[in-house]
Order: sequence, then C-alpha cells, then structure tokens
Amino acid sequence: MSLDLAITGLGLVTPLGVGREAVFEGLREPDAATQEAFRGPSSVLEAYDRAHVAEVWGWDPREHLGARGHRSLDRMTQFMIAAARQTLGDAGLARDGALTVYDGDRVGLCTATAYGSLDAISELSRVAELEDPRYINPTRFPNTVANAAAGYVAIWEGLRGPNTTMIDGHCGALDCVLNAATHLRLGRADALLVGGAEVLSEPLYVALAKLGLLRDAHEPERGLCLGEGACYLAVERADAAAARGARVLGKLSGYGSAFEPPARESRLVEASPDAVSRAVRDALDEAGLAPRDVDAVASSHADLPALDDAELAGLRDVFGDDVRVAAPKQVFGETFGAAGALGLAAGLAWLAGCPVAPLVGGGRDVAGERPPRVVVATTVGFYGNASAVALTAA
Amino acid sequence: MQRVYVTGLGVISSIGIGRRAYWEALLAGRSGASEVESFDTAGMGRSIACEVKGFDERDFLTAAEQQRMARCSQLAVASTRMAVEDAGLEPAALAGPRTSVVLGTTMGEAHLLEEQQQRWFLGGTDAIEANLLPRYGTTLLPIHVARALGARGLVQAIPTACAAGNYAIAYAADLIRAGRADVVVTGAAELLERLQFAGFVRIGAMSPDRSRPFDADRKGLLLGEGAATLVLESARHAEARGAAPLAEVGGCGLACDGFHITRPDADGRRIADSMREAIATSGLRPGDVDHVNAHGTATAANDVIESRAINDVFGAHRPAVTSIKSMLGHSMGAAAALEAVACVLSLDDGVIPPTIHLDHQDPECDIDVVANAPREVPLEVVLNNAIAFGGQECAVIFAKPGRLPESADPPGVARASREAAR
Repeated sequence: MSLDLAITGLGLVTPLGVGREAVFEGLREPDAATQEAFRGPSSVLEAYDRAHVAEVWGWDPREHLGARGHRSLDRMTQFMIAAARQTLGDAGLARDGALTVYDGDRVGLCTATAYGSLDAISELSRVAELEDPRYINPTRFPNTVANAAAGYVAIWEGLRGPNTTMIDGHCGALDCVLNAATHLRLGRADALLVGGAEVLSEPLYVALAKLGLLRDAHEPERGLCLGEGACYLAVERADAAAARGARVLGKLSGYGSAFEPPARESRLVEASPDAVSRAVRDALDEAGLAPRDVDAVASSHADLPALDDAELAGLRDVFGDDVRVAAPKQVFGETFGAAGALGLAAGLAWLAGCPVAPLVGGGRDVAGERPPRVVVATTVGFYGNASAVALTAA
Repeated sequence: MQRVYVTGLGVISSIGIGRRAYWEALLAGRSGASEVESFDTAGMGRSIACEVKGFDERDFLTAAEQQRMARCSQLAVASTRMAVEDAGLEPAALAGPRTSVVLGTTMGEAHLLEEQQQRWFLGGTDAIEANLLPRYGTTLLPIHVARALGARGLVQAIPTACAAGNYAIAYAADLIRAGRADVVVTGAAELLERLQFAGFVRIGAMSPDRSRPFDADRKGLLLGEGAATLVLESARHAEARGAAPLAEVGGCGLACDGFHITRPDADGRRIADSMREAIATSGLRPGDVDHVNAHGTATAANDVIESRAINDVFGAHRPAVTSIKSMLGHSMGAAAALEAVACVLSLDDGVIPPTIHLDHQDPECDIDVVANAPREVPLEVVLNNAIAFGGQECAVIFAKPGRLPESADPPGVARASREAAR
C-alpha cells in the first residue's frame, strides 16, 4: 500500500539560493548552479585556504528571521527556522508568522542531521580544554544536543506536535519520511515538516580532511565537496491535502531502508550495493511501481568512489542502464543529514519541469522529453546503510 | 494491528549490570552516586555522578568488535547481547532483514570526540588520530548493534536528548505494528562525559550531593550513564517461537512544548497531553494506569511541573509515582530506556522501586510518591514519562501481556480517543 502522502510545501536554505523559487530557478542551469554553489572562498572556513566547499553564501539571519532574538541560535538552527518558515508559507499553512490551517499542537517536525551539534560541542570543548570548564557559555550549552535545533524551530514557529530528530548518517532525511508517514497515518499530527539540516563547521571539515575525503581547492576534480543547508517538505496525508484544496508539489509513495554489514570483521567503513538495491526495491514495492516506471534517480553520488561505485552498482542491479541517474550533490555539496531532503527537492524540481541534472557521467537531459513522473531518491551511508524514497507526480 | 511484546531485557547501569542485579539494586534503593573517576572534576564545583563501574567489554565483545567500536557502542552491544539471551533467542536468530535496530542517545561517542578534540586543540591537526575518526558518529550505535545481531533491516538513531529512550521504543513499536519488522531491538546508551557535566554545572542544574526527586530540599540532578535494551517482537513472532512475553507495549504520546529550550512550560500542558495520548491510544482511560515511572529529574522546575501534569491527567485517581533517577541519576539519552526496563520489571514482579532520599516531599509535588521503600502492588498498566531539553516529550504505556484491548488503530484514532479521554 502506497504511503500516499502529499508534499504541499518546500523550503530551502542552500548554497544555490534560499527558497523554492530561487533554487528551482538555479536548477534550470545546473552548470551555472554548480559554479554558483562553489564560488568560494569560504567565510566559515576562512582559515583553510584549501577548502573547496559549497557554503550558504552571505547568510544574514536578519533577512530571514527578523532583527531580534537569534543571537544564541547557531548557524544550523537559523537555517532550519528559515527553511521551516518558508515551508509553512509555501504550503499555505501559515501567514505572517501564524499557523492558519491546523492547530500548532497538530503540526510537528521530523528532522535529520548527522553532525549538527558538532560545532557547538567543539566551541564549548575548546573553552573547557584551553581555558576552564567553568567558563563555558551556558546559553550555548543546549546547542550541544542534536535535537535542540528542532526544539528552537518549534518555539519560533509554534509547532507543538511530534518533534523527532533522526540520525542515520547520509540517510537520515529519507528515514524521516517513514517516521512522518507513521505519525500521519496514526493521526498523531495533521502536517509535519520533514527534512534535514547540516552545517559547515571547522571540526567537521578538519575531520573529513584528515581522512583524505575532501576536495581540495588546488585539485578540485576529485573528492567530496562539503556543503551545508536545510530543507523541509510540508507533508500531509493526501486526502487531507485534497480536502483543503492544497496545491500538491508531488507525492511520497514508498520508502525502503536496508543495512548490509561488511563481510570482513575488521572492516568498519564499506558501502553496500546490496543495501542500495534492497532499499530501492522496497520503496518501489510500497509505491506499487516497477523499475521501468522510474524516470530518474536523485542519487547521493558525491565524487567519492567508495560510496559512488556501490550506489551505482546497486542501482544497476535494479534498473539496468535504463534510468537517468543524477547527482544533486554536484550542486548542493555533501550535506549528510540534509542530503536526502535536497535529493527530494531536486526531484520536485524535475517533476515541475526542470531538466534532470547534473547527470552522473556528464550526460545531458534529453531536451523536449516529457518531464518525469516518478523519481527515486537514494542515499548511501559509510557503513552499509542505505535508504530510498519513491517520489511521484501529484 | 499486531500486538507488540517485550521479550528480553538487557541493562548496564551504575547500580548493576544485567537484569537481575539491576532489579535487586532498584528494589534495595541503592544509589549509584559516587565521586567521579573518569575525569577530573577539580575546580568544577561539583564532583558526584552515577558512573558505571565494573563493566568489562571483554565479557561481551569479540576482539574485532572491541577494535572497531568506541565505548558507547560497546555498552549498547553488550546490553543487546544480554537482552537477546534474556529473550531466549539464539545469537543468530535475529539475522536478516526482518530485524531492525532503533536506539536513542544524546551524545553517542562523546568520549572519542573529546579525546580527538583535545589532541587537535593542543597539537593541531597533525595530532588527530585519523584511524579512530570513523568510529565517531551517533549513527554508529544502531549499526554496531545490527552488525552484532546480523540484523539487516532499518538502522536508526534517535537523539532526542533526555526523552531519546522513549522516542526509540515508541518508534520501534510503530515499525512492528506497521508490519515493517518482526523484531526491533531498541533502547538507548549514554556515557558520562566531562563537557556535559560542566554544562549542567554551568546552567545551575546539578546537585552537589544527592538526587532528591520530589523533595522540598532537592538541589538539582546528578548525571548518570548506562545502556538499556528491550527486545520487541510482534505477537506472531513471539508466539511462533513459544516465547513468554514480559510485557506488552501500548500506545505513545509525542508532543513538544515549543516554549523554552531547557525549561518546561509552567502549566505542563503538553506533558499532560503526551500522557493522555499514550493512554488513549492504548485503548485505556487514565483510571486504568496503576503506576507512573516519572521523568523526575530532581530539578526545581521539572518536578513541580511534571507533578502538575500528572494531577491534570489523573485527577483523584492518583497512581503510584516513582523516580528511579534518585538512584541512577539522569542518564540523559539512556534514562528513559533504563526506566522502561524498570517499568517492565515492575509489571513482571508486582513491585514499584522506591524514590530514595525523599525526606520532605515538596507540597508542590502533590502526588503519591513511592517513598524510600519499594511498594508491592498488583500492576497491570504502567506509564513511562520522558521530557527532553528542546521541549520534546514522549510517554509510553507498558501493560501485562493481553491486558490491552484489541485495537484496529485506524487513522485519526489518536486525536479522537484523546479528546474522549479528557
């Protein structure tokens, strides 16, 4: 049985732009968009001249959150509040900062992040280590827990429904789709903001650079491009969305997730093609779709061969060579917890007529071909975890 | 709708390792509080916490497992192995895609992070041990546990701070009821860590000596650590293998204050709502609940507001309330899972563990606290309450197997039944 959830709104804070229209506009010209996203040098990582990252350029919280009250909010929390506010507005669920359709008790959120509190932990830890634990800033302390950011969104936007934070590496935002589907099906909420967020930070950059995974400004052809951003989808049961006459951007129809551990006991990091193919098949089964129905895949291809090769092998196992595989991370950068949500956002752009791009392998979308009706978003993790969501046209 | 049974328990705590030792210590009213040994508290103004002592990972993990995982995951895997054995399952019985793992935590592998950050701050990036970095990440807790079991279904970490254990258990039960898994290994793990400790001192929430929930002289929380695992099975799966269920998982209530990032809303409305929803979606009325295992942190704000919410929900019924944080301290992400294990053991044994150090009950906490000595009482339905930093709340119902009414649980039932229960 299909999940049958309507996506009625979309909000984004990305290196490509802020808001659905700006981001969709950018996606029409993916080559220019990639240049825009990676225009550097980074202000967050200004001490690292080799950093080649996709930053939310020129972020000014006052533009999106108003003049006051955001000083104790960290960067990721600011992104999330801005994205949530846009999403509620885009869905017609709020106007002028007030919810208009559903009671705040009946609207919640489900947010993924992988390393969202790392920056706050690092900041306080530095003070504790180099100065004294007694000097850590108590107003920053709540930011060290991963769910605080979503708690702030609840406060700022008046959302008092179920509020879950999920962590599953690269796969968390797609996993949020199932969590939200469960709550909506059981009547625990009328609308949920579903998505994820991640932020550029010095500790994350240093760790990934130390592991040799990152793209280098002096050698920008290979390696992972770190990105940042936040993305929420407003999700309602399809019948409820129809009953209120909501505009529907697309439907979440199926979900799958799988874990396949490395065969060798001593291995820890190893992406799994079998996990990818099983997650995709389960998502299609739930959506009542066959592989041939799928027009495009919003993959998690990120110029990291260890993960990309496993994902492409898993996709080939399901689709053969008959599907367009695109790489939204070429435009958004690697955003871990947010990645699945940005993949779904790219899918919504394609359903709305943007060219499916950038394609893995550099091919171009065939001009004049009908817009896709079915997109599968996939995410593959470092450790053998993978998730997939089937997205269909309204 | 499938019934969801608890069939196995594993626990690592400051007062005992393993189900039996834990339960004996809880009923004996033993405190896990002592001087912190795992880091230097000199000059921090506080020095007491409830640390796990006597846990040896070699008792539970292979050499390869010890090698590939950091300490928080080690606790989670060890606790899982105990729970699987307690459930009467062979180690390989849960292999395959129909087993999922959903775990709560707050800081996950914070020890590893702190060590590497110290190296970085003092010695620059060259001092960081790159080979250890892949072991950091909250996502690894369920992944290590899944790997230890051969489980190949969904792996999920839910880091909703002090309510994480309940969020995980509630979602685990959801997955079974939705037919997405036959077995979900769930629970939570947390380590005591210096930065957290310093933070709680800095926000003025930590007691200098004891954890005294609901007492007029309470001085704040003590931090704790540990891991707790519950094996949840669909009724069909449990019955097919002839397992004797310990308890049934009922409904849950999920809500958020949306009020303040660390303080609960003074009227406790959403705390009460989450309890009401857990009760209603279990097909019960407030009068059916025999016992509430409270969040009971021993902070000034929590205990008064939680008491208010309990009275709001239960009125004159006055269920027996306890806070085992009086013995375990506040184990953050693991707290609600440790409390869930206590709920199941209470149902199984017909005894409620005490709230120790309750010398002068705060008149503002006007609830029936099980003070200082365990209370023997027939129990059919218990409610586990959890409230988090961030404003997230989650209440979960546990009941004697078969006690809960059959439920078709159609869409929309939660709201309708919650309103009926008001």
